[in-house]
Amino acid sequence: MISASPTERTSQSSKLRVEDLNVYYGDFHAIKHANLVVPENIVTALIGPSGCGKSTFIRALNRMHDLTPGVRVEGTVVLDETNIYEADLDPVTLRHRIGMVFQRPNPFPKSIYENVVYGPKIHGLRSRKSLLEIAERSLRNAALWDEVKDRLHQSALGLSGGQQQRLCIARVLAVEPEVILMDEPASALDPIATSKIEDLIGELKKTYTVVIVTHSMQQAARISDYTAFFLLGDLVEVGKTSDIFTKPKDKRTEDYITGRYG
Amino acid sequence: MTAAAHPARFRTSQSIAAQRRFADRLATVILWGCALAIVVLLAFFVGYILYLGLPTISWHFLTAPPSEVEAGGGIGPEIFNSFYILILTLIFTVPTAMAAGIFLQEYARPGVFTTTVQFCAESLATIPSIVMGLFGLIVFVSLLRWHFSAIGGALTLTILNLPALMRVTQEALSSVPNAFREGSMALGATRWQTIVRVVLPSAIPPLTTGVILIAGRIFGETAALIYTAGVSVSPGKSAFDWGLFHPAETLSVHLWYTHSEGLIPDGAQVGNGTALVLLVVVLLFNFSARILGRWLSRRLTGA
Repeated sequence: MISASPTERTSQSSKLRVEDLNVYYGDFHAIKHANLVVPENIVTALIGPSGCGKSTFIRALNRMHDLTPGVRVEGTVVLDETNIYEADLDPVTLRHRIGMVFQRPNPFPKSIYENVVYGPKIHGLRSRKSLLEIAERSLRNAALWDEVKDRLHQSALGLSGGQQQRLCIARVLAVEPEVILMDEPASALDPIATSKIEDLIGELKKTYTVVIVTHSMQQAARISDYTAFFLLGDLVEVGKTSDIFTKPKDKRTEDYITGRYG
Repeated sequence: MTAAAHPARFRTSQSIAAQRRFADRLATVILWGCALAIVVLLAFFVGYILYLGLPTISWHFLTAPPSEVEAGGGIGPEIFNSFYILILTLIFTVPTAMAAGIFLQEYARPGVFTTTVQFCAESLATIPSIVMGLFGLIVFVSLLRWHFSAIGGALTLTILNLPALMRVTQEALSSVPNAFREGSMALGATRWQTIVRVVLPSAIPPLTTGVILIAGRIFGETAALIYTAGVSVSPGKSAFDWGLFHPAETLSVHLWYTHSEGLIPDGAQVGNGTALVLLVVVLLFNFSARILGRWLSRRLTGA
């Protein structure tokens, strides 16, 4: 079990299980009866055309919709054994276990160091020594340490877009989540920064379960083990990435990946 | 695809291009002129007040108590009272208005209650200050029997400025990108932690500006204070009269009083000197508040 191959890993227990998930924006039914199993230590990509609901779907996995008035979520999302939509579950604790990286890098207007230790600090860690350790470890794991180690106390807003996004990943790693959700994390970045993020995701899946939304099918093919295809609020098909891209079962999936869908 | 197949390309004619250039230059000159006019007006205004007021300024004038009938009175207590009432008002206004603004912007969901609060605040903001002064006269001076007092004046000014500062807080908070809030909440922060650690520090520059503007209004407020803090100072006390329930005439009230109601023969000179001091004090306050705001902002955001 020490060197489990991807195929063996997939037989492992699921990390997240989505059952009959529905999301409404007012009267608009944005996600319709979606079912998805996310295996542990695997990268699952969510693809589909703009407006298909993939971002809406991923934001339902850590209850980010709670923050937006007028959004209603129905159905269950099970993390390990717990339904995260249970009434008595504290979304704050949940988001400690499920981290999120957003489309546009959103570092806080604080120093690089303060950005990384933000999570540990709000969760009550005070010791300066452990905070420094966490900062270094997280920045190393986000492949950013060498670029910023001499300016940890300068503003994070002085970093390039790609560096800012890796800082945001480091910030998530610092709270040691179990699942990392990424909503098009490279769409605002140039190709070099994008490939750095992709390499990083390959590293992250050794320790974390990753769910990533991407509008780029090439990116999904490069980095993911499983792919789910969304269209107009329906989760059309999900399967191993290699299967989805070579022998899709659904006609709509085939049309999309072969470029016949607008 | 020959050139002929393409419809005639649309091009600007020479005369229209010249017209556009002229309009562009004209606009530049007008806008520049308006900006310059503001500077000239201010310079003239400040110069005139300096010219009128400077001869009156002396150590005696700045520290001595005012005189009721004879010439040679000072404005020592008035300077102190202006600051005293300003600080008192800010102590009452800032926490209340900021809390209300934070609630409306960060917690309240759109609905009847939010709309009602918003409507009340806007209505409150349009009430003329003289009306507030009469309200203060009825409530603080008569009903509560505080007579003319520093605290009565400060509370009247609090009611007068609450809506504006609440509005300023809301605007300042709405200028903070939502991405900061989402980023913080996604790391498991509570709403309150998000507000205290991310949202408020990012909102400090507009908040500082807002507090400075409000402070300027408090310094200059006259009508609301005439009937609440009064047009006199406690006789026989030093310039620093900390008594909350003592009458506390401020600089701007003194300026109005000496020019319109006062009996002193040198009322005009005292008024001019008072105007100059008021101007300088407001400017000094603005500068120091801005420096403090910049320091705070740098301290909290590391920018």
